[in-house]
This record gives sequence, C-alpha cells and structure tokens, in this order.
Amino acid sequence: MAEQYVPEDRVPLPPPDAKVFTTACDYCIVGCGYKAYVWPKGREGGPRKHENAFGIEFPTPTLSGRWISPNQHNVVAVDGKPHHVAVVADPDAEVVNRGGNHSIRGGVLAKKCFNPKTDTRDRLQRPLMRVNGKLTPVSWDLALDVMADVSKHVIEKYGEAAWGMKTFSYQFFENTYAISKLAFTSVQTPAYAPHDKPGPGSDTAGVDDSGIVTFSACYEDWEMADVIYISGTDPYETKTVLFTEWIMKGFPKVLIYALPRKTTGVAFAEQNGGLYLPVIPGTDALVHMAISRIILENGWEDREWIEKHIANKWEIGSGFGRGTRNTPWQWRTTWGKLGADFAGYKKWLLANKDAELDRASRITGVPVDRIRRAAELMAKPIKGKRPKTSIGFEKGCYWSNNYLNTASIAAMGLLCGAGNRPGQMISRFGGHQRGWISAGSYPRIKSPEKFPGRRKKEIDLDRWAENGNLRFAYVVGTTWTNAMAASDELAKRFNEMTCENPHKIPRADRRAATEALLARVDSGGMVFVHQDIYFQRPIGTDMADLVLPAATWGECDFTRCNGERRLRLYSKFYDPPGEAKPDWWIISRFAKKMGYEGYDWNESNDVFEEAARFSRGGVLDYYPLVYKARRDGVKAHELLRSYGTTGIQTPIRLVGGQLVGTKRLHDSTLELGTPEGPTIHAKWLTAFKTHSGKALLHKTPWDLFSDFFERITPTGDELWMTNGRINEIWQSAFDDKRRPYIMQRWPEQWVEIHPDDAKARGIESGDRVRIENDDVLIQTGGFVGVDGDDLSFTKLNERGLIRVGRGACEAVAVVTSAVRPGLLFTNFLDTGSPSNSLVHRVPDPMTNRYRFKLGKGRIRKIGESPYKHSFEKMTFASRNITGIVT
Amino acid sequence: MAETASQQPSAAADNASCNAPAAPDCVNRRDFLLFAGATTVSITALGLFPASSAGVQPAQARIALYPRKRVGRVSRLELHKPTLFHYPFEEPHCNNMLVRLGTPAGGGVGANNDIVAFNQLCTHQGGLLEGQYQSEYRVLGPCPIHLTTFDLTRHGMVVAGHATEGLPQVLLAVEGDDILATGMMGLIYGYSNNRAGH
Repeated sequence: MAEQYVPEDRVPLPPPDAKVFTTACDYCIVGCGYKAYVWPKGREGGPRKHENAFGIEFPTPTLSGRWISPNQHNVVAVDGKPHHVAVVADPDAEVVNRGGNHSIRGGVLAKKCFNPKTDTRDRLQRPLMRVNGKLTPVSWDLALDVMADVSKHVIEKYGEAAWGMKTFSYQFFENTYAISKLAFTSVQTPAYAPHDKPGPGSDTAGVDDSGIVTFSACYEDWEMADVIYISGTDPYETKTVLFTEWIMKGFPKVLIYALPRKTTGVAFAEQNGGLYLPVIPGTDALVHMAISRIILENGWEDREWIEKHIANKWEIGSGFGRGTRNTPWQWRTTWGKLGADFAGYKKWLLANKDAELDRASRITGVPVDRIRRAAELMAKPIKGKRPKTSIGFEKGCYWSNNYLNTASIAAMGLLCGAGNRPGQMISRFGGHQRGWISAGSYPRIKSPEKFPGRRKKEIDLDRWAENGNLRFAYVVGTTWTNAMAASDELAKRFNEMTCENPHKIPRADRRAATEALLARVDSGGMVFVHQDIYFQRPIGTDMADLVLPAATWGECDFTRCNGERRLRLYSKFYDPPGEAKPDWWIISRFAKKMGYEGYDWNESNDVFEEAARFSRGGVLDYYPLVYKARRDGVKAHELLRSYGTTGIQTPIRLVGGQLVGTKRLHDSTLELGTPEGPTIHAKWLTAFKTHSGKALLHKTPWDLFSDFFERITPTGDELWMTNGRINEIWQSAFDDKRRPYIMQRWPEQWVEIHPDDAKARGIESGDRVRIENDDVLIQTGGFVGVDGDDLSFTKLNERGLIRVGRGACEAVAVVTSAVRPGLLFTNFLDTGSPSNSLVHRVPDPMTNRYRFKLGKGRIRKIGESPYKHSFEKMTFASRNITGIVT
Repeated sequence: MAETASQQPSAAADNASCNAPAAPDCVNRRDFLLFAGATTVSITALGLFPASSAGVQPAQARIALYPRKRVGRVSRLELHKPTLFHYPFEEPHCNNMLVRLGTPAGGGVGANNDIVAFNQLCTHQGGLLEGQYQSEYRVLGPCPIHLTTFDLTRHGMVVAGHATEGLPQVLLAVEGDDILATGMMGLIYGYSNNRAGH
C-alpha cells in the first residue's frame, strides 16, 4: 500500500547552474516534452529571477509553465551522489505541449524516479532466481547462463515455436529492436506476442485495408478540424494534452462522441454544441453505417473528392488494390464480401437492413435523432461549404468489434472527404507511444495458425501456451495474464504449468537449476523469465523462475515517437538502481550466451544506429538522421539530442542536406521533389497506402459479428462490463501505485454503475462490490481454418472449440449517471483485481484481436469500503461537471 | 475583513519562536493528524471527524500556522455562497474562497463541520477558479483553462484533471461567531515556499 499523501508547502528550486536534460513523457501517446533539472543536494536556487534556473520571479504568474509543484521534485543518485531533480513540462515547448502544458500523469513524472526513501524502494535491483519457491539474488552471469541452457534445450528438442516472448511493444526503439532481433532474427520463433494482444499484426485492420496509416494525422489537424467524430475514447481522459492543447483550441469546433460513458470531454462537447452518442459497446459499426446511409440518402457525401480519391471498380478488383496473392490481406478479398467501389458501396448500404435508422438505433442504443444529427453535423454543407470533418478513434472502437468497427469508421470518414488533407484526417488517437522497431519480419510462415483461404495467420500466444505448446517464455515489461482476456483462467493455467509443477530449482547453481528446469519442461511444464522494473503479480511474484531487473526512463538514453510520429531523445539523467540494466543490454548478454552474433552493443546509441536501416521506408523512418550524423561525425543520439523536446517527425527526409520532418501522411498538399541521399518517398506520403494510391471502401456485413454478439449479450441480471483508462492512472499503475498522491485518488479498483442498476442491487457509492462472470467464453482450438466460416464463432462452437470459464473481480462502487444503464465501467488494468477476468477470450476471427471491451457480469455488494465514510481517499464526485468554460 | 493579516508568517522555519497571537497550538510546523486520536488542540482547530472505518490510515498534512485572521462570521455565511479573502498574505496568489457546503467535509468547521476554505488558483497551471464553485457537487471547477475539478469535501482532492497537488486548504477555526483562518496546507500555485512569505 502506498504511503500517505502529505501535501508539502515548499519545493526546492533549481539553481541557475542546474544541469538541464531534455526528455519526453514516459507515458501516453501524446508524448509531451519535459525537462529534467538536476543539481547536487545541499544547495537550492532562490525565488528571485537571478537565483533560479528558470530565470523567473516567484511567485510565478498563471500559465508561466515554470512553477514546480512538490510532486515534480525528487532526490536521485547521479554517479552515486544524491541530487535534486525537478521534472517539469518544457515551458519553452512550441510543439505538442506548447508552453509547458501537461497532464496529471506526466506532471508527476519526477516521483517515478527511484528513491529508496519513497514507495519506489521495491524497484528490482538484482537478478533473482526462484530457489525452492523463494526468490533469491543471483549474479547476472548465473541468471543468463541458466536461461540460455534451458532455451537451447527447448529450441533443440521442441522447436522454435516452443520458445516464446511476450513483451511491451513501445518501451523505446533500442529495446524493441533488441527484442525483435532476438525473437525474429536469431531464434526465429513465431511464438511472439506484444503486451496488448494475443499475437503480432494490426490492431485496426479495417482502417489499414482502407489504405489509411493509423497515425497519419498531426496534432494540428485536430485543432484545424470543424467537426471531430471521436469514437471509443475520450482524449481528455487519456490523451490529455491532445485535448487541452489542440482539440480545445481553434474553437468553435463540434465534437461528436460515441462512447458508453459520459466523460469530462463529452460534457465539454455537449456544452459547446457537440453531441453524445451513448453507444452500446461493440455496436459502433451500425452507428457508422446508419450515419453513412443518411449521408448518402441526402447526397451529403463529398462527391468531387470521392471521384478523385476513392478506388474505382478496376482499382479494387485485385485484392483491395493490394494484389491478389500472398498478401496478408488477401483472404478477406477472396469471397468478394467486403471490397466495393463507391457505387457498389452505396448500393449495398442503401439496401442494408441493419443500417436502417430504426434498427440501428435499437441495436446500438443511440437515439435516432442523435444519429441523424451526427450525420448532419459531419457532412451537411452549410451555405454551400462543407465542414472540415476528422475522425479519431481508439480502443472502445477497435477492441470491441475489431474489423467491422474499423472498416466502417474508415468508410464513414471517407464519405466525408477525410483522410488526406489538413484538418480532415482519419487517425487513431493512440494509447501508448510508438516505440517499436523490428529487426526483421515476424516469421509468419512458421506460425501454427492459418486463416481460411491462402493466408497464414499470426499466432494466438495465449491459446498456444494454454494448450501446452510453449515451454519457455521470456516476458519483458508486461503483466501478461492480467492484460489478456479471461485473465483468471489464463493465470490458473500458467500456475499449473509453473509453480504447481513439482520440478523446482533446488539450489542457486547453474547445473542444479538447469536440471530442474529441464525436468519441468520435459514434464510438460513451462519456464518463465520475467524482466521488469517492479514485481508484477502474479507473473513475477508467483510464477517466474528468474526475475531480471530492468533500467528504464531517465536511466539510459532512449528514443521513440509520439502520436504524430515525433522522434525525441529521452535523456538519461540519473543512475539506475542497483544492478538494473536496460532491456537491450540484458538481451544482448543473453543472445551472446546463446551463441548468436550481432549483439556487440556497448551503449544504447549503438542499437539506435543499427536499428535505423530497419526503419527505412516505414512510417517511423529515421535513417536519414543517422546518415547525417555519420556524415557530421557525431553520434545519432547526440544529433537527436540537439533537437531537444521538439524532435523531428518521421518519416525523416533529407532536403537540401537538411533533415526535414513529415507533418502528416497521405498529405495531398505536400510537395515532394526528388528523394535525396537515403530519403525514401513512399507513396503514402502523398497518397493512400494502397496499390492504386486511392482509398478503399468496405462493406461491413453485421452477420460477421452478430453470432458472437448475441451469445455474449447480458441476460437476466447480468450487465455489460466494459473497461478503459482513467485520466489519473497510467497503464497498470506500475508507477502510480508508488505515488501517494495518485493513490489517494484511486486507492484500488473501482467500478462505475448507473443509479438505476445500483438501486436495484442496493449498491451505493463507496460500497465494495464483487462482479462475477460464470460464462466467460474461451476459444480452445481452431488454429487452422480451411473453409470460409471455419473460424466463425458459430462454427467454433459447433466444433466444441469454445469452453466456458469463470472470472471475478472486486471493486469500489462509484454510482454515476455517466455510464449507460445496463453497463459497468472499470479500470482496464488493475493488477490487483483485473477486470479482464470477466472478458471473453475469443478473438475476432478476421483479425485475431480480442474484444476486451465486451465483458459482462453480475454485480453485488459485499460490504463497505473504508472510503465510503472517509475524506482522505477517493472521491465519488461527478467527473463530468460542466461549469463556465471559456 | 476586520483583521489585517501580518505580512510575516509566524512559521518562518522549523523551531522558530511562535509569535502568532492566540494560536491554537504554539507550533510553527508540525505533522498534523487530521483524525481524532491525534493531538487534541489540532483536531479542535480542524473540526474533523473520527475515522469511521478501519483500513484508512489517518491522513497527515503538513500545516504551517500563520497569524490568525477573521475571514467570516458563521451566522452570516450562507449555504453555497462563497466569500473571498486573502490569506496568509495580501497578495494575488493568496486568493481564497470560504464556503458552507451543507455537508460535512474534511477540515470543515462549524456545527455541521461544513465550512471550508481553499486557495482559488488551480494547482495545474494557476487558472483562476473563482466563480466555479458547483454547489450540487461540492466541487470547485472546472478550471476555465484546462477543466480540472477539485472536491471540497475531501481536502481539495482532484476529481478529474491535471493538477499535481490537491488544492491548498486553509486551516480554519471557529471562535464564537468568528471564522478564523489560522494556517495553510499545501503549496500555493506560483510559490516555491509558502513559509518564506511574499
């Protein structure tokens, strides 16, 4: 439990000679620029402008960006000596968080830093081996020797697919490059999955199929738009500065929100002429289709633009314009069910019963007048002028009904003429930052899975492991079980294969440890290595045989991009704790013990420079930066450092010998000359990402989803159980748990429930409740599809490949009319009480993506939480209050 | 306002001598326990309630006492009608609101423990929260700049938004009909050190 929050009434100021390091936030996609001011303990700056590093008089004025709150200060070790550090949103920033704007998450970054006098004292500091069930400190050499011995055995005896990795996909280029080099180039295993999904591949296949790169927009586009349709997220909550610095600026602007929950941003939208569409999770596709249909019925579509930018029947004929054969997408084209030119799409939609207004309203729960109004706001010309409409979407949209929601939202946006011009874009808002660089392609050819038709399919690592096929798992920076669907069931199975297996390490020596683990593997068990900055429950605390301590943000120079592809250097400014090492270092030492070549990295810049060429031609292409650095005789990290918190937007181009960033993708207004030096002019810089360069429309027949949806729709006293992020917490709260300030706000898992549902169950705010689902559907097989509908829910069920499991979580009730009646909303990733345990583990058969947002459960009161009658922790006040907003 | 605030805080440094007249507890800086069971005088001053449930640790606050100042009268303070005052210094940042919430609150004084006072500069970027009291919710906000809201029943805790500290709370005491400001909990926006004064 976190310590008590004690509001301080003073904070040390950095003296004028404090060292200043530029960085960006460790957390959400927005990636605000920050500065870390570091100076030795024992002295402080003063309130007069010549006495502090900000050069400003205290007290500072409103919006100075130069006020430090006590939560923005910490004491860290630099070269072993205590130093003050203040981590402050960059007041000089001219991009992203202009003038030093910040969220509560980034605002308290300083408290992330390791300081043994704070709740960060449990940072992992030494490699640990579970000896007789007890984690015992061992040397790096011993830990990595045992890991390599077991890995060699597993790969040799059972094959690469028995050796797997489950890792973050975002925690800096240097680390993900090392991860992918190990998994895909060296081991060449198909048994790989990123932290948030069962296997590699796109999250938003329907948008990709349309030819739209999901992070094509720049932040200024959200400022420039007249109308934004926001689906499945509230950027105010989860991409705060994108909202407060960009969406809120440039008003008047109409925001249309499709969410099951009326959040702060929704309240703001309604107050400013916007619209709230209270959609039942998973049904967004029908909202999109109904809106599109009204647009077409009224002739409000942007016909001139469509004629120029939407593929015609000749251009769609060959597999969405991507070629008929051997593309990962081709199976979706094989049956001719989805692809359409404009005329074909229009004909299909106007004849589609599910897109009829009344029917769509009934299934989606969105009143007809609001659907009609949304269509008007988005597409109806006012005095002959079309509104500039953009579409922004996130996980409520694509992690509920993955293919249909993403394909239909893209089509709706394209009809409005969005996708390739300033203020008129179709883009993800994003969750975490973009930190993935792959050293090689995922070896799909080795994947045990296959779609019907010709297309190979990436692995579902959870199902693969549950079926006993995975013998060794290297887990980096993720909770795995809690973050995946049906988490209780997954944890139960992993427990059987690890700590309940009789073969345990008896002694902390190489031979004894290796022998025990090989016996485990050969008996059908599994060996876990968990690499992280803190223990994660249960994977680190209960299951892992080796726990390896990682160094993180601020402890090593790292790089990555934000939601507008802005590349920055995240500077090291203090010492990692104990023997903790960056992930790339740990992987390189392990790879060498495995006998793999190409891991001779001495510092993170070595990895960054090597990885550059694998970014070439891609959305995150930074190769020209490395090229220029080499020409200038400097390290690439140092060249990037000179760009400070501004960084440079990828793909980076060389123009007249200078590095030039790319503001938006598919940009019909961008003028490109001849590609210079190592510059690559991908066609999607100025056109859509299809063979023709034109965008594609897709039909989205509701019956591809309705069998599953009908089966999981709550019955009796069950309620929908959906989940998402909350503003004040980042990811699993791995840092927030250690911040007393955040923990007083959200001390534990919580659940929002509508007053009608609460009253019927005798639940009040502050009550402790238990939510149970004894009908959690889990797919058990179906690795290979042959006939068209083999992997449909109906067929899987008929074939006996769906089992029913259970899940439960406990939470503190928050009674609020912000949520729809019949629906519960909770934090998506509370490791102490994971709501994913209530979520079915049956991926979308078209894309292999989970429907994380479509859980269900019965809720009952089990007592009162201490917060019900306390003034000290948690508040039950409404989060969507509107006041006088200017 | 009858009294004029001293420009000099009594709490200049730890262990400094106390010169605040009639301070309820002659300490300059100390850890206050906000719940019963802790030091008695402080609790009277804070007007707080006993912890009614096990499991919540008594919250602590670092409170600096300043020269007392009458900021209102109990009999004249209307429900949900905030009144404004400066404290601990006559300086624009020390812009506070006194309000009767109608429900008991952490740090509340008066017979119903529902009179509280808070600084009105948002602890995100200093937006002025004046006029943003929402009586239905006992919340101050949304801040006009970036929409942060604060729960006035819970020591100014952030309800939703971006502030990296709760809203600084003014420590109150009631003597007869007088409502007195006696101290501050939390760093005032713009300041690096409340106690250093202005």
